[in-house]
Amino acid sequence: MKSKTSPQMAVNIGQLKLKNPVMTASGTFGYGEEYSGYVDLNRLGAIVVKGLSLKPRLGNPPPRIMETAGGMLNAVGLQNIGVDTFIEEKLPFLRNYDVAVIANIYGETYDEYKKVAKKLSAAKGVHALEVNISCPNVNKGGVSFGSDPKIAARVTRIVKDETSQPVIVKLTPNVTDIAIIAEAVEKAGADAISLINTLTGMSVNLKARKPHLKNITGGLSGPAIKPVALRMVWQVIRRVSVPVIGIGGIMTAEDALEFLILGAKAVQIGTANFINPHATIDVIEGIKNYLSNNKIKDINEIIGTFQP
Amino acid sequence: MTKDIYIGEILRNEEIQEDCFLMKMKVASSFHDPLPGQFVMIRIAGLNDPFLSRPISIYSFSRGKSFCSIELLYRVVGKGTQILAGLIKGSQVEIHGPLGNGFEISTVKENIVFIAGGIGIAPLSLLIEHLCRSACLFTSAITVYLGAQRASAIVGLDKLQKLCRDITVCTDNGTLGTKSLVTQAFQKNIKKFSPANTVIYACGPKEMLKSLAKILNTSKFSCQVSLEERMACGTGACMGCAVAIKDQKGTLNYKRVCADGPVFNLADIIWD
Repeated sequence: MKSKTSPQMAVNIGQLKLKNPVMTASGTFGYGEEYSGYVDLNRLGAIVVKGLSLKPRLGNPPPRIMETAGGMLNAVGLQNIGVDTFIEEKLPFLRNYDVAVIANIYGETYDEYKKVAKKLSAAKGVHALEVNISCPNVNKGGVSFGSDPKIAARVTRIVKDETSQPVIVKLTPNVTDIAIIAEAVEKAGADAISLINTLTGMSVNLKARKPHLKNITGGLSGPAIKPVALRMVWQVIRRVSVPVIGIGGIMTAEDALEFLILGAKAVQIGTANFINPHATIDVIEGIKNYLSNNKIKDINEIIGTFQP
Repeated sequence: MTKDIYIGEILRNEEIQEDCFLMKMKVASSFHDPLPGQFVMIRIAGLNDPFLSRPISIYSFSRGKSFCSIELLYRVVGKGTQILAGLIKGSQVEIHGPLGNGFEISTVKENIVFIAGGIGIAPLSLLIEHLCRSACLFTSAITVYLGAQRASAIVGLDKLQKLCRDITVCTDNGTLGTKSLVTQAFQKNIKKFSPANTVIYACGPKEMLKSLAKILNTSKFSCQVSLEERMACGTGACMGCAVAIKDQKGTLNYKRVCADGPVFNLADIIWD
């Protein structure tokens, strides 16, 4: 009997070659180590690590999370160990694996983005940078870096100038027109665009007449946001030519395939990891099965085959 | 890879006290032996509302020939636990664990004091069982203070009575045992113990632990407590279950209840 050949799963995000289109979303997979007992990290398309800042960040006071229908709100406040500790203590572990490592970076100022990017560009074992521009800008008095096309473009350029690694810019959905931001970062040199980050929301404790989150507002994630994510990926894909990475509420292979059909070159699995530590592998296996069952030899054959 | 997601098959799930349930399930024998104080994340497969798994500490564990059984003692406090309470024999749940760090097992053999508030007895009970079985301990070394608001909220007493003798039961309204807060009952007897040969383990509502912290404030007693917090992942990735902890220099840090805890030294916790 002829053995069934496994479908070809590799995709390219510009210069970045991935074994398959399934990555982890930043902030939902720690630094990889946290899930290494559940998942063979070698099997992932890429690991996007928890957002890194120049200095360690304490994060927000608790309560930081609240469950919602079909999802959750979080206001963790980018608690992280800082870029130096990441390079010294976490990266050596990740170098043991044959997997693309994408460092998600965050700054409170242009200069911080520049410095974090510079440190990581010299680090062995980082294959790309993902720039988080959906956080408050202290330079601009509370305006998010990601909600102003000019600022988003400037951050992109600053990071691009510091590194030869591919630069992915991660967009916030909390804007009037996400495609304008996408065009601006593409023009500024972004090698790829990932979207969406969480949607700002809040949750009220009726009994106490208080917010459930100490921070009052938080970012909504989970299957509840998938329709919004699909819509925004669709809007962006039609306006840019760089590869797009779809994120938002992906729980299953079918969810991931919907983003790929729209034209996303890859996807990120986020909140699903929390309730199913094996979610990434389940999605990879599910995509393979879908391709085999439909006699599709190469994942790239289905990317962008959406027929509106 | 050593960690997996298990299917738990419910063997029984009974309301043993008002709103308190004892769930017994069997899981594959590859499930690791839990340390006292560890917990599992439990959910019903495919359910999106409630969305997150629930962290519940392990009350009892035994290893049979072909499977393991796990007992969870839990109180119905919201939508998630309400759904768990409705599960009948033969239903299945998804669980993963054992998670977190257990209690540091005391080398002190003279006095081991347990202070439990309500459902807080669950992780302590597994520790008491463990100490009685394996630590060559005289059961007379164990003192338990078990408290709750009212008689109907006292759980786990039957099992305790099989394990040890010195048990003080107290209720806020006096419907069972002494009419007192559990922390006050302990405070009354604190002179019986000396920090040099006593270790304290506690678990219960935040207010209880806070007043225990006040009572022990300037003393040299070593006290480990198991904390509870809303969790998303249970594995240390989401940073959602933060608790404010003093480091050695006294600086505030946010630690994860799931991965850095759930057991912490009481003296290190910064209360709001």
